[in-house]
Amino acid sequence: MEISNTFGPVDVAISGLRAQDKNIEIISSNVANAQTTDNGKGEPYRRLEAIFKTDSDGIGGVNIDEITADMSELPRILKPGHPDADEQGYVTMPNVNLPIEMMNLNMASRLYQANAAVLKRYQKMVETTLELLR
Amino acid sequence: MINLNANVNSALPTADLNSIGTSKAGSTDNQKTDFADTVKQVGKYISKVDDLQQSSNISIKDLLAGKNEDITSVVSAMAKADISFKLLVGVRNKLIEAYKQTMNMPL
Repeated sequence: MEISNTFGPVDVAISGLRAQDKNIEIISSNVANAQTTDNGKGEPYRRLEAIFKTDSDGIGGVNIDEITADMSELPRILKPGHPDADEQGYVTMPNVNLPIEMMNLNMASRLYQANAAVLKRYQKMVETTLELLR
Repeated sequence: MINLNANVNSALPTADLNSIGTSKAGSTDNQKTDFADTVKQVGKYISKVDDLQQSSNISIKDLLAGKNEDITSVVSAMAKADISFKLLVGVRNKLIEAYKQTMNMPL
């Protein structure tokens, strides 16, 4: 294993940026569909979650392995007259919890910043090394 | 085991160590390389650095034209092109400095 792959850290940081990019897309889908009672198949929206996986054994970038649906219980609220209500007047709502989504959004955006910071700092480090040439 | 040996060649893009036998630390065989050889070897690297520049150029153009909406790939291409170009400039400056010093040597 060699340590002197100059572009290694660049690729790893970029993969982190990409992963969090997708993660934020998933979170925004959850927030946008926080009250979607019909996902097109007559069922309420289920919140989605990204599952991350390393690119390779040991040092390597990150990948999104799969995007799974959260199978936790769907809350039911009384809303008679709603087109999607059942006989008792209850509507099954999505299992999106806004405070949790906000927390995940904060985490995703911080992680994005962290990956960008790694990339920036690495470029500075290479510049420092090249200063030695002068 | 992580090999921490200095290996300047791998810092440049797709370094194939066999075809380019520059002064590798620790493997100074009795082969002599003159200044012209060194310049030629740098010339080989220029096309590789240029490849990275071209690909970063293309990715910027694609982004502006709307063909590609992935900003991170542009950032990646830019970072790589930037690093390799800075190294090339550093090596070039060093080479020219060495040439000048040799030329100014009083005989």
